Amino acid sequence: MAVTDTIDAASVVPRTEAQIQRRYRLISVAITVVILGLWEIVPALGLVNPIILPQFSKVVWALGTLVIQDFFLQHFTVTLTEILLGFVLGTAIGLALGIALAVWPAVKQVTYPFVVGFQAIPKIVFAPLFIAWFGFDQTSKVVMAIVIAFFPVLINTMVGLESVPQDAKKLMRSLRATPLQTFWKVSLPHALPIIFAGVKAALTFAVIGAIVGEFVGASEGLGYLLDLYNNQLQIDRVFAVIVVLAAIGALGYFLLEWLDRKLIFWREDENR
Amino acid sequence: MVNQGPIAEFAMSQPVSSAPVVQTQSLAKTFHVDGKSVVALESVDLTINPGEFISFVGPSGCGKSTLLNMIAGLLPKTSGQVLIHGQPVAEPSKRVGFMFQAPVLLPWRTVENNVLMPAEVFGLKVNDIRDKARAVLKTVGLGDFINAYPRQLSGGMQQRVALARVLTYEPEVLLMDEPFGALDEFTREAMNLELLRITRAANITVLFVTHNITEAVFMSDRVVVMTPRPGKVSGIIDVPLPRPREIELMHQPMFTDLTFQVRSILGGTHGGH
Repeated sequence: MAVTDTIDAASVVPRTEAQIQRRYRLISVAITVVILGLWEIVPALGLVNPIILPQFSKVVWALGTLVIQDFFLQHFTVTLTEILLGFVLGTAIGLALGIALAVWPAVKQVTYPFVVGFQAIPKIVFAPLFIAWFGFDQTSKVVMAIVIAFFPVLINTMVGLESVPQDAKKLMRSLRATPLQTFWKVSLPHALPIIFAGVKAALTFAVIGAIVGEFVGASEGLGYLLDLYNNQLQIDRVFAVIVVLAAIGALGYFLLEWLDRKLIFWREDENR
Repeated sequence: MVNQGPIAEFAMSQPVSSAPVVQTQSLAKTFHVDGKSVVALESVDLTINPGEFISFVGPSGCGKSTLLNMIAGLLPKTSGQVLIHGQPVAEPSKRVGFMFQAPVLLPWRTVENNVLMPAEVFGLKVNDIRDKARAVLKTVGLGDFINAYPRQLSGGMQQRVALARVLTYEPEVLLMDEPFGALDEFTREAMNLELLRITRAANITVLFVTHNITEAVFMSDRVVVMTPRPGKVSGIIDVPLPRPREIELMHQPMFTDLTFQVRSILGGTHGGH
């Protein structure tokens, strides 16, 4: 009796936010363990051909042996450079175009149909073209990454700047603020949370652009390795490269997420 | 008579003269919507003296906000003139402060930095204004909240920040477009009393738009009664009640009389159309 009483009393105590968070994290970890466990057991039991799906431990082993080799580091650096250049330049271009479209209505009137038309094209079709134009090396991959990455930044910058409340603009007019003052003091900070959502998407898109570019034609890079190992049926190594690419994307995303929270501190309360 | 130090101080800087501060001459506005002309405001002639508190009262569509926006120089006029100290108004001026129904604060700035924002826009050295900004914030009861962010404040407190923001740059004329309309009854009453205390002490001319008749009579030296379709001034009621005004005033027969006068002008045109 005494034991049941204690349990009841404990379960009635309301959980703190931290406890709930810890519980959710525990569930996530449990799901991960189950998936990895299945991944280990299913090929070992012969339910799936291990050539098509190598055991998880084999993938870990392949990853361990790959990352310590010099040639892998070279391929890694090549792709990372493409991603970063594509992301940074794509973001810069998207930001510049988005500002231009939002600030000058004439520019928007003239160019917006092209922007929408361009977005309607699945940009992967440009990959072979870019190789013909910019060559077999990194340039064509960076261009591919830029072309895929800039668009979300452009749209979000434009929408963010256009969503500045009329009252705020009127306040600035009543103070005889110059357009530049209004832009820096009101419009840009107001648009920042929306712009940042576009920047986060741009990072993911830059990774896709670089890899797709390498798939279509390259002699180096992680996308090239992925293609190579796939043709050689070294599926354990294919998975190892995928893990590395996922790590690049995840790390970049968390960095941006952290920056977002630092930069746009005033939004925090709304998210909770 | 508490906390009036900084406000009384900048009252001294206001030019003391009996010449009108604000004048409108045959001021009119016509909007063009879908090829049709809509008369928003018929010819308005007003003369407003220094330190006067004027309310504009009327139902929506009577053109009271249009009138205020034209006086502020925020809306181009169709015909007529707006004069501030005898000078035609073409665009907004630092001498005229505008306050909206919404506080319009920048959420990424602290209370103090919101109040200092106009000084930045005017190209003033912010550090020279900081002491005054803090003094004004104290006057509106926000002395302990200078480092708070807007989202941490109630609606009434946010509107106090907006009031401090406009008072800090010492406008001679304060244009207010239903400034406390979004607040609850109790907060609004408190804000009205505070607005009276501060602007009467500093001798600031106030043009106050509202659709609340009682509020208009209670606050004002004169009530401009406006009616819609087309928007026009239907009458101007003098309010010779003594100042400072207290809430008890509302129970006096003269107060009731005055509100009835305003109401009858408003009601008299309702059946006409």
